[in-house]
Amino acid sequence: MSSRFRNSAAAAVALLALLGACDRESRNSRGQPLGETVPTGASPDTIYPGNSQPPPLSAQAAAYQNNAYAISQGQQLFTQMNCVGCHSHGGGGMGPPLMDPKWRYGGRIDQIAASIAEGRPNGMPAWRTKLTSEQIWQLAAYVRSLSGQVPKDAVSARADTLSNTPPQTQQTPEPVLPAGSAQQ
Amino acid sequence: MPGKDYASTRFSALNQITPANVGKLQVALTFSTGTTEGFEAPPLVVNNTMYVVTPWPNNVFALDLTKPGAPAKWVYKPNPAAAAKGEACCGPVNRGAFYDNGRLFVNLLDGHTVAVDANSGKEIWRTQVADIQKGETITMAPLVADGKVLVGNSGGEMGVRGRLTALDEGSGKIVWVANTNGPDKDVLIGPNFHPFYKKDQGHDLGVSSWPPDYWKIGGGSVWGWISYDPQTKTIYYGTSNPGPWNAPQRPGDNKWTASVFARDIDTGQAKWAYQTTPHDLFDHDDINEIILADLPYHGGRVPVMLRPDRNGFFYVQDRRTGQVLSANPYGYVNAYKGVDLKTGQIIPNHALDPKEGRVTRGICPASPGAKDWNPSAFSPVTGLVYIPHINLCMDMAIQNANYIAGTPFVGADVKMYAGPGGNRGVLTAWDPINGRKVWEIKEDLPLWSPALATAGGLVFYGTMDGWFKAVDARTGKLLWQFKTGSGIIGQPISYRGPDDRQYIAVPSGVGGWAGAVVAAQLDPKDPTAALGFANAVKDLPTKTSPGGMVYVFALPQ
Amino acid sequence: MKPVRLTVSVMAAIPVSGCAGIQTALGGQAVQSSDFVSLFTIFMVVCTLMYFVIVGALMWAVLRRRRESEACTVETGKHEVSTPQSRVALIAWTSVIAVGLSALAVASFFTDRSLAAAARNPKLAITVTAHQWWWDVQYTPVDPSHIIRTANELHLPVGVPTEITLKSDDVIHSFWIPKLAGKQDVIPGRVTDAQILPRQIGQYRGQCAEFCGAEHANMALDVTVESMADFKKWAAAQLQPATAPTTPLAAAGFNYVTTRQCSVCHNITGTPANGQVGPDLTHFASRKTIAAGTLPLTTGNLYGWIADPQSQKPGSQMPTMQIAPQDLHAIVAYLETLK
Repeated sequence: MSSRFRNSAAAAVALLALLGACDRESRNSRGQPLGETVPTGASPDTIYPGNSQPPPLSAQAAAYQNNAYAISQGQQLFTQMNCVGCHSHGGGGMGPPLMDPKWRYGGRIDQIAASIAEGRPNGMPAWRTKLTSEQIWQLAAYVRSLSGQVPKDAVSARADTLSNTPPQTQQTPEPVLPAGSAQQ
Repeated sequence: MPGKDYASTRFSALNQITPANVGKLQVALTFSTGTTEGFEAPPLVVNNTMYVVTPWPNNVFALDLTKPGAPAKWVYKPNPAAAAKGEACCGPVNRGAFYDNGRLFVNLLDGHTVAVDANSGKEIWRTQVADIQKGETITMAPLVADGKVLVGNSGGEMGVRGRLTALDEGSGKIVWVANTNGPDKDVLIGPNFHPFYKKDQGHDLGVSSWPPDYWKIGGGSVWGWISYDPQTKTIYYGTSNPGPWNAPQRPGDNKWTASVFARDIDTGQAKWAYQTTPHDLFDHDDINEIILADLPYHGGRVPVMLRPDRNGFFYVQDRRTGQVLSANPYGYVNAYKGVDLKTGQIIPNHALDPKEGRVTRGICPASPGAKDWNPSAFSPVTGLVYIPHINLCMDMAIQNANYIAGTPFVGADVKMYAGPGGNRGVLTAWDPINGRKVWEIKEDLPLWSPALATAGGLVFYGTMDGWFKAVDARTGKLLWQFKTGSGIIGQPISYRGPDDRQYIAVPSGVGGWAGAVVAAQLDPKDPTAALGFANAVKDLPTKTSPGGMVYVFALPQ
Repeated sequence: MKPVRLTVSVMAAIPVSGCAGIQTALGGQAVQSSDFVSLFTIFMVVCTLMYFVIVGALMWAVLRRRRESEACTVETGKHEVSTPQSRVALIAWTSVIAVGLSALAVASFFTDRSLAAAARNPKLAITVTAHQWWWDVQYTPVDPSHIIRTANELHLPVGVPTEITLKSDDVIHSFWIPKLAGKQDVIPGRVTDAQILPRQIGQYRGQCAEFCGAEHANMALDVTVESMADFKKWAAAQLQPATAPTTPLAAAGFNYVTTRQCSVCHNITGTPANGQVGPDLTHFASRKTIAAGTLPLTTGNLYGWIADPQSQKPGSQMPTMQIAPQDLHAIVAYLETLK
C-alpha cells in the first residue's frame, strides 16, 4: 500500500468515527404523539418500602436530556408559556429559582417533567392538558440546563432575550440536591 | 384600621413619647407569628386586644393586652389555598385587617373575604371575591364604612380584570362591583360622572382606549389603599398598571388603569376619575395611599388629596373635582418631563420608551416607582408628609407577551439598580403646600416599610435589614433605633395600652417584592429575578433573614 | 442532439416561467412594482443594446484583417492618436456611453421620485410582524379599538397608498409580494417599512425572501387587492368577535379549543382563547390557505393539518398532538364556523 493511500484511508476512518458524534444534533420535531408520556411523579427521592427499587430513568429522558434541539425548543417554550413570568430566567420570583442546586420536587429530568405536567401544591400550574408530552420533555430539558447540568455542546451560546444571565456555555454546573432541599 | 383613620393619615395623637425621651424606648413585648413571609399588616389594637394578621396562611391572632405577655385569646386559621402563592406577584403578603362593630374583616390570599367575630374568633361569613384560576389574588386591606366592605383584587401582572367589590357588612353578599376597564356600565360610570380634564371625558373610554378585547385582560387591579370622606360619602382609590408590561401590544390610553377614582360608597357610581399615567410603560401603578386633608390653597381652605405617586410626582388634587393643584417630583425622574397642570396630561420622555427587541437603559424611577405600596404618614402638627421611598433606576427589555389565564402576562425583562446618589432608599419630609422637600434621610437599602407620625413629634419607620428607627419630625435627626430580628416592611403603629401608656408596635419579617430575594431564596445570578428587584438588593441575604415577629416598645416604667 | 435540445429548452423555460403566475416579479400590479418593472425594462433595453454593440464591435475587431500600417505604428512607439477617424470614434463611443449611463441614472432618479410620491400620505397603516414561520398582520388605525388582527393574509383596497410597518419577533425575514412591492428585510429589534399602492384588483401571493429557518419556504402571504367597498365589508366583518357555535359538534369543538392546547397559543376574539404567540384564528375560515400558504384551506387539509402539523411543516411551532378522532371532528367543525 502506498503511504498516500494509507493516509487517505486513515483520514476516511477518522471522519467516519466523527459521524458518531452527530447524535446530539438529531431533530425529532414530531415526537411520538401516540406513545409519548410524561411520568406521573415517580421520584428517586422518596422511600420505596419493602425493599423495592426506585424506577430507572425512562428511555425518553435519555432522548431529551442533552439534545440541543430539545433544549432550544424548551428555551422558546419557556418564554412563550410564561414560565419566565414566575421563574424569570432561572432566578425565580413568584416561583422558586431554577438555576440553583436546590430543588423542591427533584432536579432529575423526569422529576422536572412530572412537576410541569402535574403542577405542584404551592402554585405551580398543571400543564398536562395544555402542552404535549414532547413539549413538556423539551421544557424539562431546558430547565435542567439552567443549573448547568447539561454538557456545554448542547446548550445555546446566546440567550434569546436580553439583559440577563451569562450564556449557558459559560455557566458552572450546579450539583443536584435531593428533592426538598429548597426548604432547608 | 390600617390607615389609622379614613383619611389615611397614619398619624397618632398620642404624645407621651417625645424626642426628649424616645432614646429610652425599650422592648415591652414580643410575639412570634410562626410565619416567615413578608409581614406587611399593621397590628390593630381595639378594646385592649391586639389583632395580628399574618401573610399566607393569613392566620389571625387576638392578643390580650391586659395580661402579662399578651397571650392569645383566640387564633383564627382560615386555611386559604396554597396554590394562591403561585399567583401572587410580590410575595403572599397581607396588608391588614379592618375592625368594625365587633367584627374583624380580613382578605385571604386565595380570593376570599372573611368576617370574624372579634371576641370569639369564629368565622361569620366568607365570600369569594376573586378567582385564583384567572390569576387573581387579594393582598390589600379592606375598607369598611357605611355598612360596606370594600375589597379590590390583585393581579396586574397576571392579565386579570381589575375591580373593586363592595360586600354587605352583615351578610357578605356582593352589593356592587366597579370594574376598572370596560364599558361605562361595567365601570359604574353614569350621569353623575364629571372628570375634570378633557382627556378623561368621553363614552366607554374603558373600551375605546384598548385594542379589541384587551381591556378584558388589561389589569387595573385595586390592590392598594382606599380612603373615605364620610362627609361626602366618597371613597378614593387608585388602580394598578395595565397588562401586559409590553406596552406596544396595547396601543391606546388604556383607561382606566393607572387612574384615581372618586366613587359614591353607596352605589359605587363614579363621581370623577383622573388617569395619572395614560398608556403606562413602566408598571407605574396608581394604588398608593391617598391622604385626605384640608389645606390652605389659593387663599382658602381646599379639601385636597395628597398622593406620592409611583411615577415620581407628588400630586395634590382638589378632591371634589380631581383638579391637579400641583405635581412636583419627589424623587429623581427622567422617564417623564413633568405634568401639564392645564391639561392634566403627564409629559413622557419618549427617548426612554421601551422598544420590542431592544434594551432601554437608565429609566428612572424604576418599575416600583419612586415609591411603591408602603404608605407615608401626614402630621397635621408639622404639616409635613413623611414619605418612606426608594431611589432605583432600571434597564428594561420588552417582548411579545402570551396570555394564558392563571399565568403571568408581562412580556418584560427588568433589571434594577440604585439611582443617582447610590442610596437605594430615602425618607423624605415633604411640604405639600409649597410642593418641596424639607429634609431627607438617605438609606442604603430601599425603604419598603410604611411610616408612622405621632403628635409627640416623632416619625417611626423600619429598614429592610431590620432597624426600627425614630426620627425627629421637624428636623429628621435620628433619635433612636433598634435592630429587630428581620427586615421591616410592615406598618408601625402607636396605641394606648390598658395602663394608659403609649406603646409603639411594629411587625418584623422581610419579604414582599423588595425582599423576595430573601423570603423566597431567589438566585441573584439572574438579575431579572423578582421582576428585576433581585439585582437591586442582591446584598440583602447577607443583611437579613426571613422572620415573623411583632415587637412592642414602650418607655421604661 | 435530442437531449441537448431538451436541456436547452428546459433551461430557457426556467427564467421565462418567472414571467407568469401569481408570484411573478414582473407583474407590476402596484405602483412600486410597476415602477420597478419600467426601470428594469429601461435597463434591460439600454444594457442589451450596449451589449450587442460591444459584442459586435469586439467580433469585428477580432475578425477583420489587420492593416500593415497599424502594426508599424505600434512598433515605432509613436503615442499620438493615430488617425482623425479614431479620435472621432473615441469621442463618439465615450459620448454614447456617457449618454447611456446618464439615461440610466435619470431613469433611476425618476423612479425614486415616483416611489417617494407613491409613499407620501399613506391612507392605510398596517403592521406586519414576521415570526418563524408565519405573518402576524394588524391593521392599525389611530383608534386602537378598531385594530384588526389577522394572520398570513393581507387585504388591500385598490388605489390606496398603504404604509406597512415591519417588525420581527425572532430572526431576520424579508417581506416580499413580487407583483406588488417588497423585498424589505424585517429585522428583530428594528422597525422597517414598506409601501404599497396597488393598481389592479386581483389575488396575489407574497413570500418570505430571507432565509429564516427550516420552514422558510412555507412562509407565504395571501394578498387580495379589492375595491374600496369590498375592503370595507371585509374590515367590518373582521372587527366582529368570533361567531358562537350553533351545532353541538361545533360547541364541542369550541370547548376543546378554548380549554385544551389550542388556547395556549391562539387567539379567538370573544372567547376565552387568548394566546398571543400563534396566528389569530378569529376569522380563520375566511382565509384561503392554512399555515402561511402551506396548504389550501379545505376540510381535508384542515383535518390533516390539525391531526399532524409536523408532517406538513416539520419544525414549525405547532406540535403534533394526541387528538382523539371525535375531538378532531369537533375542532374542525368549530374552526369552519369562524368566518
